[in-house]
Amino acid sequence: MAKRTPSNPWTKPAGAPIQGKAIPRPRRTAEVQSYLPELFRGMAITMRHFFKNTKEMMLGQKPDPVLEALNEGVTTICYPEEKRPYPERFRGLHRLTLRDDGSPRCVACLCCSTACPAQCIHIEAGEYAEGDKRRGYERFPKTFVIDELRCIFCGFCVEACPCDAIRMDTGIHATPYDSREQFIYRKDLLMEFTGRDGSRKSANPRHEPGDPTHPGLSREQMDH
Amino acid sequence: MATIKIDGREIPFEQGDTIIKAAHRAGIDIPHYCWHPGLSVAANCRMCLVEVAPPPGRPAMQLDILRWDPEKKDYVPARKPKLVPACQQACAPGMEVLSEGSDHVEEARGAVQELLLLNHPVDCPICDQAGECRLQDYWLEHQGTGKRMQQEVVHKPKAVDFGPTIVYDAERCIVCTRCVRFTAEVAKDPVLSVRERGNLNEIVVSPGRELDHDYTLMTEHVCPVGALTSKDFRFKARVWFLRSARTVCQGCATGCNAYLDYDPRTNVPHRHRPRDNEEVNKYWMCDEGMLSYKRAVEGRLGTALVGGEDASLEEALAAAKDQLAGLKDDPGRVAVVLSAQHSNEDNHALLTLARTFIGAKDLYVSGRPLGRGDKILMSEDKNPNTLGVMQLAGAPAPKPIASLFDAIKAGKYSFVIALGAEIEVDAKDAESALSKLKGVVTIAAHDGPLARAAHVALPATAWAEQDGTYVNRQGLAQKSERALKARGDARPGWELVAKLGKELGYAMTYKTLADVRRAMTPEAPAASRDADRAAKPEVSA
Repeated sequence: MAKRTPSNPWTKPAGAPIQGKAIPRPRRTAEVQSYLPELFRGMAITMRHFFKNTKEMMLGQKPDPVLEALNEGVTTICYPEEKRPYPERFRGLHRLTLRDDGSPRCVACLCCSTACPAQCIHIEAGEYAEGDKRRGYERFPKTFVIDELRCIFCGFCVEACPCDAIRMDTGIHATPYDSREQFIYRKDLLMEFTGRDGSRKSANPRHEPGDPTHPGLSREQMDH
Repeated sequence: MATIKIDGREIPFEQGDTIIKAAHRAGIDIPHYCWHPGLSVAANCRMCLVEVAPPPGRPAMQLDILRWDPEKKDYVPARKPKLVPACQQACAPGMEVLSEGSDHVEEARGAVQELLLLNHPVDCPICDQAGECRLQDYWLEHQGTGKRMQQEVVHKPKAVDFGPTIVYDAERCIVCTRCVRFTAEVAKDPVLSVRERGNLNEIVVSPGRELDHDYTLMTEHVCPVGALTSKDFRFKARVWFLRSARTVCQGCATGCNAYLDYDPRTNVPHRHRPRDNEEVNKYWMCDEGMLSYKRAVEGRLGTALVGGEDASLEEALAAAKDQLAGLKDDPGRVAVVLSAQHSNEDNHALLTLARTFIGAKDLYVSGRPLGRGDKILMSEDKNPNTLGVMQLAGAPAPKPIASLFDAIKAGKYSFVIALGAEIEVDAKDAESALSKLKGVVTIAAHDGPLARAAHVALPATAWAEQDGTYVNRQGLAQKSERALKARGDARPGWELVAKLGKELGYAMTYKTLADVRRAMTPEAPAASRDADRAAKPEVSA
């Protein structure tokens, strides 16, 4: 016996007339016909917002536009004079965090450019010169370039970074420019940006060679 | 053939094989650090521990141990089988080995791995070995837990200069002594040794010496972790961005099998490393060969040259036609120079043009001058395909290029068509001799004396940019794969020969490499013999 195909509820069965549901016409009473109750109701909403906004303006009460956006009603802000604050974990333009001595924390491991799905990060690694206290422990980015035009702001680079050297906590969104070259952010520029707390460092310090917290570099400095 | 069983799988072994060697040959990977198929057995890393079932009728050797019982919160007496290192235990017929299948083995491997990582700096982000490091691989396979030791790790010297090519990091070192054994056993120059004991030990160079023999980069290659790093490759690239092509080293007539690792995004080669081939280079390569990957980029002929000026390929071919006008009237006045630097395919195409179409009688062969050789791998003949050219040309054998210049001085020739840029004699001599001629056309990958002296030079691809066959000093024809995209205007040598032939009005029909190879087969059966028969399952050492 042939298998009966289950009927599709979204299609009309062949041959059957179109089924419909009769909806009664609204009754045209004097209340509906005159529009007046609806008119006053609409006016009431307008006036409520007028007085609320006026009161807040006079008293200097500024509601949180982010939270207010969740409320019903009108939440217009006057961009660009007023800006909606970004949420705490907003991913803005990148920055390179710095060590205490002002050098970048980046060790040019290329984890970020490996993780980057847009392939917008280009790094060339360099080695510290002979005699530098970081030689052998670290390397540094000779060039560090991010093409902010290609970047899709996914934040994978931040998650991939084992040194907390790249962050997207600047709070600056992608800026329009005149030419493509201006979107190519190099190491110096990336090191100039600050986080939203105004700091160029990272919130996660670690033992760096040469720091007082670092356990020492040679056998002479060890206790075992 | 006698067999042993590993995890229930029966594998054959040869007399004198250890368990790990038999497994390696059968393509079973038993984790190991210190064992290397080409080196003596040290059995010091203890990573390859396996459980061997006792012979029939005999009790298993058991050890009394104390095992932590989390319920009783105390150590309780227990027994476990004594494990043996697979790299040291010889195979016996019918032996039953448990590797992956034993919980005791798995526990032991995790413990060994934890010990090896106890003092490891875990600086994978800046370590060149990251991505091909056994510590990383085995941590994932056999350990997978965080570090339990709370104390500060032992600190040892870092970035120690071992010589002109190698930098050593003692903190990353697991003292497997592969490098020590390599320098002593293969390179025959025992400059490395171990000092101190326990967790303070490290590899040192003999006082007053440097690691500066001809096989220093191999110590970096055999290092299973990132302790030894090559100055040439250091911090240049991350290995997971690289792709490998199976090439043949062009440094000398030995024809070592190699991988050319290159970055496909930038079309830049980054390193040469040996490819295992028992018949040719075993597991090794010399420094010169490992650094010869640079010749794929350096000193290249980027564009065609007409009278020393850059020209397009079409212009150069037209100029070559002008240069060689009158060649058909007098084929006796044409000298054709084959190249021991180029593949069989390139030489075959030129040979076809010379013999079949032009009718030239006199063949010469060019190549790099003789160099230093040794009894390990390096050959004095610094050309990868000398034997191939000789086999292709047959009798009469091509004459060395020095006699070409004598013949030119005697006024024997008006035209020279040459492959390859390098000559083994003085470049000035060549230039003065060639400048007198009516037409000199060179097809060359590199900018050498023969390319500079030519009136028209056509840019050929280097070995890394084309497939080719090279015959080494043993007479093995070995295929080399294309790795890079051609630089500049470079085209494969055989294609340029075919284009030149067509320009001169001959019916040269080579369109693809397969055409050339098909045409080669009846003529030179020896050259088509494929060394790929030596191909093995690719389990890295």
